[in-house]
Amino acid sequence: MINFRSLWFQVNITRGGRLTMADDREILREIWEGKVPVCFQLAQEEVYTGEQPDPFFLLVPRLSYFPLVTDKVLRHMMKHVDPEHHGEMWLEFDGQPLKWHYPIGVLFDLYGMSTDLPWKLTVHFQNFPEEELLRCSSKEVVQSHFISVVKEADALKHRGQVINSMQKKDHSTLWAGFMNDKFDQFWSVNKRLMENSGEKAFMFVPFRIYRADQIPVQKLFKPCADSGESLTLRHLLKTAVPELMETDALISSRVLIQGIEPPLDTPVCWLSEHLSYPDNFLHICLMPRVEVES
Amino acid sequence: MSDKNDDDAPPSSPTAGSASTENAGTDGKSPTSVDSPSVSPAPGATASTSSKLKSNSLKVDILLKPAGDAPIMKKKKWTVDRTKKISWVSDFIKKYIKSEASESLFLYVNQAFAPSPDTDIGSIFDCFGSDGKLVLHYCRTQAWG
Repeated sequence: MINFRSLWFQVNITRGGRLTMADDREILREIWEGKVPVCFQLAQEEVYTGEQPDPFFLLVPRLSYFPLVTDKVLRHMMKHVDPEHHGEMWLEFDGQPLKWHYPIGVLFDLYGMSTDLPWKLTVHFQNFPEEELLRCSSKEVVQSHFISVVKEADALKHRGQVINSMQKKDHSTLWAGFMNDKFDQFWSVNKRLMENSGEKAFMFVPFRIYRADQIPVQKLFKPCADSGESLTLRHLLKTAVPELMETDALISSRVLIQGIEPPLDTPVCWLSEHLSYPDNFLHICLMPRVEVES
Repeated sequence: MSDKNDDDAPPSSPTAGSASTENAGTDGKSPTSVDSPSVSPAPGATASTSSKLKSNSLKVDILLKPAGDAPIMKKKKWTVDRTKKISWVSDFIKKYIKSEASESLFLYVNQAFAPSPDTDIGSIFDCFGSDGKLVLHYCRTQAWG
C-alpha cells in the first residue's frame, strides 16, 4: 500500500497528464498485488477443546473474497470447536459480522483502516447472523456472485453487449485468472470489459459507495458531461451522496478507493479503468476522518 | 382476475387481501398515503430536502415476470418500499406462488444478472428501472449465467 501511495503521487493524473501503457499496467499490477495482513482468532466462547488455538496469520489479497482464502483457517480452527454444534464459518471484526460477498479490501477500508495491523478478526462457527450475512456453501457460490456482478457492471458500461458477446470459456478464464492470481490471464479477458472508446465508451460507471451502518449507494453516473467534459470523483460524490456535499461533512470524511485517497479531481473514467475491483465495480468507502493522523 | 385493473390503475392496491399481500409492505394503502411507517428520511435530511421528496419517492413499482417453469403471478405489478431487499421480494414471491421456503428462487434484472439478496430495491430501480418501473424475472433454476 505504501508503494502504491508513492506511485500514485508520481503519476500526475490529476491534471490529466497522459500515462503510457506501461505506467497503466504498473498501476493495475500494484492494485492487483495489494494485500492485507490478517490475524484470525477463534471466538473464545466457541473453544471446545479447553485450550485456545493459536491465532492464524495470513496475508490476503485485497481483491479477493474471504471464502476463497480461508480454507487453511477453517481447517486449523475446526479442530477446536464442538464437532456436534458447528455451522458455517463466519468472520467478525469488533462486533461487526463481515459480509463475504464484499471484496476483502472493501471490508478492510470500511472497518479496519484505523486499527493496528495485523487486522484481528474473530472466527465463528455458531450463531450465524442470518439477518446480516449471506450463506456461502462453496466456492461456486462465490463464483456465481462474482460473475453476476461482472454482468451487472457490463450492463451499466456497455448495455451488457461485451459480456454477452463472450463465451462461457471467457467467463471461466476470467474467474480462473482471478482465483489463481494470474494477472495476465485475468486481463486477457478483462481488457474487453474495460474497453472504453468509440462505440464501446462507458455509458455509466459502475460504482458503489459504502459507509459503516448504511446500505451501499448505487446510482447511474455518466463519466462525461453532455459538453464532453470528463467528470470527476467530486462530481460523482455530489450526485450520489449530495448530503455529503451540502455540509462540511466531506471535509471530515475520507474517501477511500483501494485503500488510498484519490484527489477529488481525478476523472471517474480513469478511476473506473484502473482502481475497479475485478468485479468491474469501483467500490468507494466513506470514512469519518480520525483526528490522530500523523 | 384483476389484470385489467392492475395494468391501468397506479399500482399498489392489492385486490385480494390474502396473508401474503398483507406482507407486501406498502400494499393495502393507496398511493397517496405517505405516512409509510417502515421508511424514514435519512438522518440529517433537512426540511428542504424532505419537502422535495414526492410522496411516492420512498416506494417504487416493480413488475414480476416468470421465467422457465415458474408459475405466473396473477398480480404482477407491485409497489414496494425502496429499502426492501431482493431477498424480501424473493420470499414474497415464494409465498405468493406457494413455493416452499426451502426451495430456491432466482431473481434476475435485465434477464441478465442476479443481484445479491441483500441489495435494496431502490438502488436497482435507480440503475435498471425504465418507464417508471423495475422488471424482475423470477425462476426456480438458474436461468441466466
